[in-house]
Amino acid sequence: MSNQSEPATEVSTAKERTTILTRREFTTLLIGSGVTMAMAAFLSEPLNPAVARMLEAQKATEGHGKRKRHWVMVIDLSKCVGCDYCVYACQATNDTTDDMRWNIRIDDETETGKVFHLTRPCLHCQHAPCVEVCPVAATYHREDGLVVMDYNKCIGCRYCQTACPYGARVFNWIERGDEPNPRAGDWGRPEVPRRPRGVVEKCTFCIHRIDAGLARGQMPGVDPEATPACVNICPVNARHFGDLNNPDSRVARIIASQPTLRLREDLGTDPSVYYIPPEGLV
Amino acid sequence: MAQLLRSRKHTTLLFVLWLLLLVAGLGVGLASGVHVLVNGLGVTNLTNQAPWGLWIVVDLSSIALGAGAFTLSAAVYVFRLKHLEAIARAAVFVGLLGYTSAMLALLMDIGRPDRFYHPMIYWNVHSVLWEITLAVMLYTTVLVLEFVPIAIESLVPHRFHFLHRLAHFLHRVMPVIALIGMSISMIHQSSLGATYGILTARPVWYSPSAPVMFILSAIAGGPALTLFLALLSGILLNKDMLPRRVVRDVARLIGFAALAYLYLKLWSWASTTYYSRIPERETGLELLNLNTPYGFTFWWGEVLLGAVVPAIIMLWSRLRNNRYILMFGCALVIFGLLIYRWNMTLSGFTVPLNWNPGVRNVEHINIYTPSLVEWGVTLGIFCYGCLAFTLGVRFLNLFPEAKPMTPDTETAPVAVEHTPPASEPPMQPQPSGAD
Repeated sequence: MSNQSEPATEVSTAKERTTILTRREFTTLLIGSGVTMAMAAFLSEPLNPAVARMLEAQKATEGHGKRKRHWVMVIDLSKCVGCDYCVYACQATNDTTDDMRWNIRIDDETETGKVFHLTRPCLHCQHAPCVEVCPVAATYHREDGLVVMDYNKCIGCRYCQTACPYGARVFNWIERGDEPNPRAGDWGRPEVPRRPRGVVEKCTFCIHRIDAGLARGQMPGVDPEATPACVNICPVNARHFGDLNNPDSRVARIIASQPTLRLREDLGTDPSVYYIPPEGLV
Repeated sequence: MAQLLRSRKHTTLLFVLWLLLLVAGLGVGLASGVHVLVNGLGVTNLTNQAPWGLWIVVDLSSIALGAGAFTLSAAVYVFRLKHLEAIARAAVFVGLLGYTSAMLALLMDIGRPDRFYHPMIYWNVHSVLWEITLAVMLYTTVLVLEFVPIAIESLVPHRFHFLHRLAHFLHRVMPVIALIGMSISMIHQSSLGATYGILTARPVWYSPSAPVMFILSAIAGGPALTLFLALLSGILLNKDMLPRRVVRDVARLIGFAALAYLYLKLWSWASTTYYSRIPERETGLELLNLNTPYGFTFWWGEVLLGAVVPAIIMLWSRLRNNRYILMFGCALVIFGLLIYRWNMTLSGFTVPLNWNPGVRNVEHINIYTPSLVEWGVTLGIFCYGCLAFTLGVRFLNLFPEAKPMTPDTETAPVAVEHTPPASEPPMQPQPSGAD
């Protein structure tokens, strides 16, 4: 029934719209598109260096004028002798058992058969797969580049363990009692409370030392009290810690002047641990 | 309830024994569950290298096997295949059992069951697991809404008018609920595959095809379980629970889904291992074949018995028309789905991570075998499903169109089908008048 009325409607529309674009419509369109293009030109970084500089400055600062920090660790594989001191100091300081070490040592070799020792803390990736997969945001990026855990949020699903490319995460399979830490004493003493059963944990870069040290006015990587335990104890000075965003820090100078490698850079995780390769390793 | 129990006859000794067996299994599950809750996940064989195991397989499989609910509800309410309503109720019930089983398995599996609600409060929208958790919770709600009218109709006496009005209302808005259910299911059924598929660091897992393979196998496996259970209850009760036409159409749906799944599976295999090579993936598969029966279970379990054979059974009418062969086909689809979920979950963990810069293989192969407690919990969840379905068939009106059994060979299937049931309104309006 509606078929019959359709041609009539078409005719009437055509009659009304003799002018395709009225003057008002044309002007509105012109001004609108002009404003849009101007805004786009102003805001897009390549067209407006001023805006680009502003955004850059915004990225580099924390908001209250201070430069944003980025804590990184440099581990010199050409110096490391594989003594395990850093492993034990970490265990004592962060109160971990032998089978839930946050910082592990492996023996590896170059293609020419030269053996070298590699220690691996959490790499504190800037694009951390564990942060991306956590269903409750219990693990997250801090402003200063650290990847940290909120033990009160974690539900213990262990997807982060599955996703971490470096096997850096350990789960609290059992409830830990009051038994003393196997490494406490010689290697330091526990500085953080034990984690409850059923949550995932990992290396924190000794976040408690960093935060408390900064509050006291100390500089992590310079003052031992504010520096990770594994860095302090290294007998051959193979580990360095500091703020990569401060060009005067030791880590920034090493990374700027020496070739370094990071683990599985192909994955795009952007780790915060840089290794100085041993001789013979590309 | 006593009235209800008395009204049903035929409580055979075998039935009572079956119930007792299930209750015993449930008891084992309960004891194992308490053991885990009290002593923690340390009692399992899970490790930091293989942190997921049997329970995750149970979880993935029960959700996939519950997919009959969304598939068949969508077929009835969204695609208007009204005759499939004969199986939709059973599918919803099986779906509800599947999703509750998955929740039980997850509750056992997470380290802090007391924080199960955290994903609802602390959102990480970037996490595929967050999306799954939310979708599973929402979809279970949908299943409950779909199940409530069935329960009210079957169990509540007529004098409770309010409840019956509620059931009637829910029945009327069912198309909307089914549409929502389908949307949520389409998302999370595939996201379960993405859980593994997105992990770039694990070359055995990393595959963009995993999400699609998960949902296709679920579309085959979910209806397969429902159809299997319908046929099995029919044989035990000497009834035809579903009209022939419904059995045929559901079987064909399973067959086509299995074919689609097979097609993608073979291409996924060929494109990543045969026509191209990723060194890490190649090494990973070599390690798997050296240390586990991965290759054998893949080709024989997942591909041949899990997809090829059942697709032939479902799509070849001569085989399909024998209910025992059809049941065998359904069982094969389910078997293949279980093998796929098992292989998918464990293969990625078995192959060690490769992050060291040198040439040594510093991490070891992680062979995981479930502990007795894990099997105990799994047995409990399985018995829960069986018990609930047994009682459901007995006390709920799951198969509204059940009729006394006719032998497979007696009826010529096509001839009977074309006469529509008397209760059904004519499908198309009569063509009257000129257009």
